[in-house]
Amino acid sequence: MNAIGLRTLFQKEIRRFLRVPGQTVFSPLVSTVLYFVVFGSALSNRVGEIEGLPYVQFIVPGLVFLGIANNAFLNTSSSLFIVKLQGTVVDLLAAPMGPMEVLSGFIGGAMVRGLLVGGLTWAVGALLAHAPVAHPLLTLLVLFLSAYAFAMLGFLAGLWAEKFEQVNFWPTFIMLPLTFLGGVFYSVKALPGFWGKVSLLNPVVYMVDAVRFGMLGRSVMSP
Amino acid sequence: MDAPVLRLEHLGKTYRSLKALDDVSLSIAPGEIFALLGPNGAGKTTLIGAVCGLVRKTTGKVWLFGTDTDVDPVTPRYQVGLVPQEVNFDPFFTVAESLRIQLGYYGKRADEARVREVLEAMQLSTRADAPTRALSGGMKRRLLIAKALVHRPRLVFLDEPTAGVDVELRQQLWAYVRKLREEGTTIVLTTHYLEEAEELADRVGIIDKGQLLLVENKTQLLEQMGERRLSVTFSTPVSTLPASAESFGARLESGGLRLTYSERHGRPPAHRLLAALYTAGLPVDSVEMERPRLEDVLLEVLRAPPSRERPSPPAMR
Repeated sequence: MNAIGLRTLFQKEIRRFLRVPGQTVFSPLVSTVLYFVVFGSALSNRVGEIEGLPYVQFIVPGLVFLGIANNAFLNTSSSLFIVKLQGTVVDLLAAPMGPMEVLSGFIGGAMVRGLLVGGLTWAVGALLAHAPVAHPLLTLLVLFLSAYAFAMLGFLAGLWAEKFEQVNFWPTFIMLPLTFLGGVFYSVKALPGFWGKVSLLNPVVYMVDAVRFGMLGRSVMSP
Repeated sequence: MDAPVLRLEHLGKTYRSLKALDDVSLSIAPGEIFALLGPNGAGKTTLIGAVCGLVRKTTGKVWLFGTDTDVDPVTPRYQVGLVPQEVNFDPFFTVAESLRIQLGYYGKRADEARVREVLEAMQLSTRADAPTRALSGGMKRRLLIAKALVHRPRLVFLDEPTAGVDVELRQQLWAYVRKLREEGTTIVLTTHYLEEAEELADRVGIIDKGQLLLVENKTQLLEQMGERRLSVTFSTPVSTLPASAESFGARLESGGLRLTYSERHGRPPAHRLLAALYTAGLPVDSVEMERPRLEDVLLEVLRAPPSRERPSPPAMR
């Protein structure tokens, strides 16, 4: 096991996204704040409560999840695509690092970005919606696993993509529908008939709900 | 011959119906500079890629430092450096950072002295903190070489290392390659500058259409297949050659003002022809002798490849 190689790649991935913080950290944060303002504050009075929670609080876990999932995904998919495009993938392929070291370096870096954006999103949520954390360890575990899952998905997308268009295909046609139909902004129980049943096939529904249970102690599904 | 640093046995790579490498067997001894020559698309880069883990071989075996890379593809790579043909750079990092990252990939802890040493050798010291995207084409090429060497590999693959590099720097790189060899580094070189192979190589391999057509000691190859061209200019036109000179098969040109002769393996040496001209009292004004060139050998081998069944001493391959 090339531990120094793995650590180098992991640190390189973190430094890479920190070199462009406006794009990788603050831009997602601005989107999240806008979600809070538009969905939370503006709609809160009309929607009232969902599952016994004020609407602005109800959406906090989903937005934290969104920040983590999107950024973990984008980090691996774009980073891997860039090394392929720039040709520096040769450095990794020729280096004495096995698949586990390379994969762990990319995934680890992406998880750090996802969790950083998720953490900042939660901080904004705590500030604007007074969102507490009911079960901190469970929340951390679910967020950690979510970051891992979406970083892996992003790695697959980066491996598969050969053109810019293909990199953008996943966030637009897979990530966006999965997350927007994942119960971030509403209770999936509120969806009628067919769409309610389809939603139950969406894994993001359960991830968001697990985060909601961890953070707010309430969930739409039975824990 | 010491235990080979690199040994290939029946190496093959097929892309659909295209045989990029066809039954290539080769041994590279420690400390030698081996030049792999051939036209574009001959299989040079594929061969290097198959050894370095960039290309999955279809058939055959690769041993690096005695290790079967099918059994352990990773460990031998600690000792290998690669200068890829295509210029690449990571736009997020500076020149020095790129070298530190490369050191880390090869399991080496941060070593600022080594980073400075390699930057100096590649004349990049003043650009150490510059973003890689700000480098000129030649500098990017030098950075690639620096990255390939920073972890002190025992075997270095230089795939077209001096393409797009100016003459002065090319000479400096040659000097550095010789220094590496003196330190015991084995070098496998591909180049389109045949002068580069003439200058540096101990042995030469010629590859075309994925087949390794010939592997030979450079000096012996030039002796056996190279041509030394003699050109004699006369002060007054010569109408006929004396019989002693004519038997060499030399040709009179430019209305008898010039005589040319190609000395090659199996033909009489040019100095005997010169002696015959002087003895016959011909009005020799000037004499030029061109050394044998790899370019001629390469072209000849590509035009008429030696039979693959031709026995070849095992040590040479």
